[in-house]
Amino acid sequence: MTDFAWLTVAEVSALLRSKKLSPVEYAKALIARAEKHDKHYNAYLRPTPDIALEDARRAENEILQGRYRGPWHGVPYGLKDIVDYADLPTTAHSKILQNNVATADAVVTQKLKAAGGVFMGKLSTHEFATGGPSFDLPWPPARNPWNRDHFCGGSSSGSGTATGAGFLPAAIGTDTGGSVRNPASMCGVVGMKGTYGLVSRRGVVPLAFSLDHVGTLTRTVRDNAMMLDLIAGYDAQDPASANHATGGYTAQLGRDLKGLRIGVLRHFYAKDMQADAEVAASIEASVQKLTELGAIISEVSTAPLQTYQACNRVILLSEAFAVHEKWMQERPQDYGQLARERLMGGAFVRAADYVNATRLRRKLTAEFHALFDHVDVIVTSSSMDPPCRIDDPQANEYTYSRQSRAPFNVTGSPGLSVPTGFTKNGLPLGIQLVGKPFSEALLYRVAYAYEQASPWVNMHPTLV
Amino acid sequence: MREARDVAANANPEQTMADEKLTLEAVKKLAADIGMTRLNDTHLQDLLRATNAAHARRKALDMSGLTYADEPAHILDLTRGDTQ
Repeated sequence: MTDFAWLTVAEVSALLRSKKLSPVEYAKALIARAEKHDKHYNAYLRPTPDIALEDARRAENEILQGRYRGPWHGVPYGLKDIVDYADLPTTAHSKILQNNVATADAVVTQKLKAAGGVFMGKLSTHEFATGGPSFDLPWPPARNPWNRDHFCGGSSSGSGTATGAGFLPAAIGTDTGGSVRNPASMCGVVGMKGTYGLVSRRGVVPLAFSLDHVGTLTRTVRDNAMMLDLIAGYDAQDPASANHATGGYTAQLGRDLKGLRIGVLRHFYAKDMQADAEVAASIEASVQKLTELGAIISEVSTAPLQTYQACNRVILLSEAFAVHEKWMQERPQDYGQLARERLMGGAFVRAADYVNATRLRRKLTAEFHALFDHVDVIVTSSSMDPPCRIDDPQANEYTYSRQSRAPFNVTGSPGLSVPTGFTKNGLPLGIQLVGKPFSEALLYRVAYAYEQASPWVNMHPTLV
Repeated sequence: MREARDVAANANPEQTMADEKLTLEAVKKLAADIGMTRLNDTHLQDLLRATNAAHARRKALDMSGLTYADEPAHILDLTRGDTQ
């Protein structure tokens, strides 16, 4: 059981292809693991063991008949419950959409199905990808696999917990202000938000149209690159989709970092905000490791973190309220308190403020991208604090905005959260790698080199 | 932390939509003006805190480096079929 829980996608894929592992046997093992432990972690909002076993049996038959579809054939995955899976409810973890049955698959779901993936279920989220962790919703909040008394990050909370807990090897999340990278950093897994427009958002409940990204959470860098390879691509029916070549994200894995120019964006976590001492020390140790791996390190600077955050929030609040206004008029009581408060913030943002935020966004984006004239990759913080207790609303409120992920939703840059160890109390820490648009393969190269030179990928939580 | 925000939120008796600090009564009227008539007192407290927080975000927008000609980040792109 334990061996199955911690198999990577790459390992599983090889075993399935060579018929040394049965997709049905593997799916059954992961289903049993979740049935045993998830009552303590709430990663799944709606597990779908029947669908998983049907998918697994189909994969097994096809593989045995020589009709192997590729590296995701027979591999389990989960979807944050704002992503449509036809004929299942997409609830956004909210009473508002409790009975909202999807009529079609999201584009990412289509791709995972076509690849022969095994669908394990819908995963918990913060309500409408913003309100959490909340205890006043129809389903409980996901908890941290390393210590269930602690926050697992969000809003792709179940995606982080499920991958971190070994319930499945890969999950889809979404990221509007950091919601893939946050649970990644807090659950000790790898989380990628690619360039804006790289992955289709069609079939995903919107939070803020111009900031929303679909992303990937896995336990290893290689698996993450493999998943992005599968789901990236132009979609003419998504107005934000980038008509740009995609794929090849595993191509640079294993290349060394000699001569690579890495900029440290230190003022985000050392001046604009003071990161927790253990977080800051972990970042600096990671930078030292990258130096040892041959990277040329320099320091870079940009506008203050707070300027980016204000830009992100004014845009996010405005666009999100446009989505939620009708429900706020008709069903305000059906939101949880946190989502209601966070979403209502857009009710009275002036039109001029929204436009000005988008004007500032263009300037910030241009200035930030200019940094890549001098460096290849930027390293900075992800979360400023280790995971706090999930039952401490003041601590959650305090740490909620203490992050440096939102800037890269503003700029649309690819951002990758990578595990960098643990606090003294055994809670995960992480850094964030950021690149110029469509440089995901390079980010994976740096992350992979770091991962291979560090012990963290082989450490797993002991579940209750 | 929330208590501190509540005190700040209720400190100013004068208000307009763009003011930093609104009262509960003022925010109730503003909400009703946009059709949010089903908010109870708890919801209105949520709205009051949220509006004040949003105003703080608006104030933090640093527009000092922009000229009148600086364009928004997203504009209609007719090369991508937006005319259809």
